[in-house]
Amino acid sequence: MLETLLERFRRRDRLALARLISMVARGEQVEPILAGVGEPRRPARVVAVTGSGGVGKSTPIGKLTEEVRRHGPSVAVLACDPQSPLSGGALLGDRFRMPARPDDDGVFIRSLAAAGGHGALAEHLHALIRLLEAFGFEVVLIETVGAGQGDTVVRDLVDVLVLLLQPETGDDLQWEKAGLLEVADVIVIHKADLPGAERVEAQVLATLALGTGTVVPVLRVSSRGGGGLEALWRTIADRPLRRGRRQDGRDLLRLAQQTLAARFAAGTDRPELRQVLAAWQRGEIASAQAASTLLDLLREGAAAKES
Amino acid sequence: MTSAPAIRVVLAKVGLDGHDRGIKVVARALRDAGMQVIYAGLWQTPEAVVRTIADEDADWVGLSILSGAHMTLVPRVLQLLREAGLEQVGVLVGGIIPESDIPKLLEMGVARVFGPGTALLEIVSFLRQRSGAGHA
Repeated sequence: MLETLLERFRRRDRLALARLISMVARGEQVEPILAGVGEPRRPARVVAVTGSGGVGKSTPIGKLTEEVRRHGPSVAVLACDPQSPLSGGALLGDRFRMPARPDDDGVFIRSLAAAGGHGALAEHLHALIRLLEAFGFEVVLIETVGAGQGDTVVRDLVDVLVLLLQPETGDDLQWEKAGLLEVADVIVIHKADLPGAERVEAQVLATLALGTGTVVPVLRVSSRGGGGLEALWRTIADRPLRRGRRQDGRDLLRLAQQTLAARFAAGTDRPELRQVLAAWQRGEIASAQAASTLLDLLREGAAAKES
Repeated sequence: MTSAPAIRVVLAKVGLDGHDRGIKVVARALRDAGMQVIYAGLWQTPEAVVRTIADEDADWVGLSILSGAHMTLVPRVLQLLREAGLEQVGVLVGGIIPESDIPKLLEMGVARVFGPGTALLEIVSFLRQRSGAGHA
């Protein structure tokens, strides 16, 4: 079953790509799928677009997609919207603002439900990017859930992190705070047709001038008028590719975490695992102890499978 | 964690029809029932809807039509789904559909037509029931 899907994927069957994305997004068979799709021929340029809810992320991503297509590269979009912590349901309303020509095979848009606690991103995003790269997409655009000041993990997953701000978002102390503003590679003052855009731009530039690091480009963009979009793509395309450089252990740690999570999801039927869970739920063992036992069990499970 | 994967539903307004209140209410109800609703919105062509269904790996599509063009638009969507190899996707139609057209739509392959006044719970139960076995 999986082998057939992978075979279709390698023949560039879009439906197979869509199905494999669903499986990976649910954490199903992530390891065999990644092994089966192989290495991408060329690394994609992976760009995250983040900012608070309502700042306007979907609309400029839609426009940016058109702009990239004008220059040639194919584009895949992964658009994250929040998943309800109560019902598990989600209203995925990003692609509504990204009209794409249905006959253009160079554009692929996929909506993802993102549970809380993953830095405004869907789970297994790293693996989903790998799938799209292996399929041959040259640019991958990621839309985060409306993100807060502390949602910085996205930086490690992408080559270029674009932070969108809008007029009237607070006084200049906002820009002095640590977090998202520090890790952005490109800053966009969106809705630049609204009054106050110049003031936000001036505040951000003043804040950035105090830093000692690299110069971060600040651009004004208006999706309504279309102004600044071409400059935005040029700026993104000029940034060096950051991913793939093995800087520190974070990539490796993330991979280990995902592997562990996948093993946990796949192993919930194992009796010894259920025993630990049940004992923890009844309050018989402390959380730290339960977690440690769980780690041992998941390691054993993998060893048993491999031997 | 061992529960079935969430049902994925594309909701779209096809053709020139600007009334989207009803479809948004349905979207909300399905969301609250734990489903993943991909809201494709207004003024969609049949081609665009089918591309969305394909890329989103959806189990169902709900088409809301209040313009009277359902006997043109729905068969077109069904035909494009077949051509794309997506005949397993369930098609629901909502909106203003004359009583006499309903059997024709069902005959063409529409799973169910939900008219005005349908209880939201009825749509939710229908999707849950029909997704039980067929949509893994």
